[in-house]
Amino acid sequence: MIVTRRALSRRTLLRGMGAAIGLPFLDAMAPAFAASSIPGGRPVRAAWFYVPNGIDMRHWTPAEEGPLGTLPGILAPLEPMKKEITVLSNLTANWGRPLLVGAGDHGRAAAAYMTGMEVYRTAGADLKLGVSGDQVIANAIGSQTKLPSLEVGMEEARMAGNCDNGYSCAYAYNLAWRTETQPLPPISNPRNLFERLFGTDIVEAPEAHARRLAMRRSILDQILGDTQRLEASLGAVDRRKLDEYLTSVREIEQQVQRSEKEGLVIDPGMEKPYGVPAEFPDYFRLMTDMMLVAFKSDLTRVATCMIGREGSTRAYPEIGIPDGHHPLTHHMGNMTMLDKVREINALHLKLFAEFLAKLKATKEGDSNLLDQSLIIYGSGLSDGNVHTHDQLPTILAGRGDNFVTPGRHIIYQRETPVCNLFATIAERMGVRPEHVGDSTGRLPGLSLS
Amino acid sequence: MQSPFEGKQPLGVVYNTTMSRPDAALTLALLYGFAGKREARMGAVCVNGSGLGAAVFCDVVHRFYTPGPPRNANQVLPPGLAASGTLPPDPPMLKAALERDYPRSVTKVSDTSLPEAVLRNGVIFNAQAVIVLSAPATYLAKTLELQGVNELFKQRVKMLVVVDAGERQDVPAMRRLLADWPTPVVFCGREVGEALPFPASAIGKEFAWSPKNPVVDAWQAFRSGPYDAPAWDMAALLHAVHPDLGYFGTDAGTIQVSDDGTMKFVAGEGAHLALRVDPAKKEKILQVLVETAGAKPAQPQPRVRPPAK
Repeated sequence: MIVTRRALSRRTLLRGMGAAIGLPFLDAMAPAFAASSIPGGRPVRAAWFYVPNGIDMRHWTPAEEGPLGTLPGILAPLEPMKKEITVLSNLTANWGRPLLVGAGDHGRAAAAYMTGMEVYRTAGADLKLGVSGDQVIANAIGSQTKLPSLEVGMEEARMAGNCDNGYSCAYAYNLAWRTETQPLPPISNPRNLFERLFGTDIVEAPEAHARRLAMRRSILDQILGDTQRLEASLGAVDRRKLDEYLTSVREIEQQVQRSEKEGLVIDPGMEKPYGVPAEFPDYFRLMTDMMLVAFKSDLTRVATCMIGREGSTRAYPEIGIPDGHHPLTHHMGNMTMLDKVREINALHLKLFAEFLAKLKATKEGDSNLLDQSLIIYGSGLSDGNVHTHDQLPTILAGRGDNFVTPGRHIIYQRETPVCNLFATIAERMGVRPEHVGDSTGRLPGLSLS
Repeated sequence: MQSPFEGKQPLGVVYNTTMSRPDAALTLALLYGFAGKREARMGAVCVNGSGLGAAVFCDVVHRFYTPGPPRNANQVLPPGLAASGTLPPDPPMLKAALERDYPRSVTKVSDTSLPEAVLRNGVIFNAQAVIVLSAPATYLAKTLELQGVNELFKQRVKMLVVVDAGERQDVPAMRRLLADWPTPVVFCGREVGEALPFPASAIGKEFAWSPKNPVVDAWQAFRSGPYDAPAWDMAALLHAVHPDLGYFGTDAGTIQVSDDGTMKFVAGEGAHLALRVDPAKKEKILQVLVETAGAKPAQPQPRVRPPAK
């Protein structure tokens, strides 16, 4: 790294053998940052959080349009973040529906939601779908960051096999589709995600890599030289910011190492890959902490997070629910099952709210990361019991750098494609696609100014 | 797209209307009459050029003619409504029906569908469809420009019937639509509807099976006293559903849209067809219209098998 008296580049990396760590926004970057080509001058980030199996909508939809009052039960965990979210009602993922092809709603739901395209029914390798909303953006602006996009998941991805009525598992396990035939599998292993973020193309010798992991040495050791040189050129405030940031990276690394240690002694009968925290909330926090760092250090501006693959049967013993999520959503009106579905929905939102709070607490210049982001939380199913693909549960969090006036519930016309939201976000990110999937235009009314 | 049910479904009808004339209300009754005979089904109805009340009316008529709970939430598309900006006023003829206590599921704009989406979905949900356009072409032209829709319509839409009841058209949209439309286009001109006056006598007689009917309410509210109404949209729908039964003659030519929004058909070389009423068939056509529109809807069949004796 060469540090000059000129403004520090936003794309500066601290490098070492097998490591390349991006930096948070520092005051020393300000002049260079102001010259960014992104509209508005500051980068906007976009992320998609996908929750499987729909939502108990009776406890999701606010009663009134306009300013958010007391939030319905499932949304209650978002109460502290109420001023940061916009609830969008009546959006539709049309191609998730049976239309003329019949059963397979879970097989289609996530794929149709993200792409707004017909899901070609196949359990083989001849996948055919479309470019997902996130990749419309990543394909256009991804070259501006180290990673064009980041794909995170909390279930190990399957790329083949028949998952639902002849639909390939690739449709249910992937959110991001770079082309109509190429899904980008989400990373579900914390170590792999860590290496993706902080690893480098300069590959460590396998023996050295294994030795470092075995000795539990930190990746920060690899970049010590660069770190010291950079610190010498920074003011006191930036030095403190850098220290805090690298400490947070180290904490994540330690969590990953702890998970790996736990992973060595877990019951081999558990459906949990090596290195994954035993409890789902810890897993969620660890993975989303890394997403946060990726945004903070501008490693990428586009991310997807599959909280569970569509049709997920994950159990939630942490909150006293040993039943599978998907079977519970086919409750047929059974109130005991409905209560459990609602508790699972609320747990997901509690964890999502924590993530939003962390974004909000992360300063970036005179703004913060949440104000600079557009974070979608949603599903390709609304009522998981009868498989409806309209009136989808959708939250848009953040302001996208003064693009959204949050704290409101907006009700659109029925059948408004959810891809209209994706197209709107793409436009905010500086991309002007003619269409995103089946979009018919842009979503009006997101800003009051 | 994949469609294993192709050929097994009745023809889907997508009706783009202003719902501002009595023949438009009667066309809904005619469509549900065809549906009762499984000769066609409601694909979608989309209102533009009129206010929310027109969409509510379409929903009211739908629920009146298809009593019982919806079979599937995704198969019953809410009516489309062009609602960007200030809504036009409701057609006066609908006021009486809207004030009565007919069941309805549409009460506000957000209960209606985005016009482009519903015009497309009306086709997607049907293996074969026809579209009857009796409104400004604004939204149908927009729909055609959506990704994949031209190809979809090419595969599914047997014909587009354009109705000219003397109302002004959206000139650029209609010209674009005619230039880009991928399947046959049929013109139902003013003289066709005027040659087929739907008889006032049928209103009292054929619709007597119910003490109240939103279609009759609209008819009676349009004008006081008995009157016969030109059946523009009904003629268009009859031809769209049964083009092979020879109700109408056709002439080749071109639909032309003037700068002032009026339309005319120029016979001769051209890719379009225009409907022609043979005076000898007029009574037969009117009989079909009256009997089908006036048919009492079939009651939904119970889905539970009766207990064995």
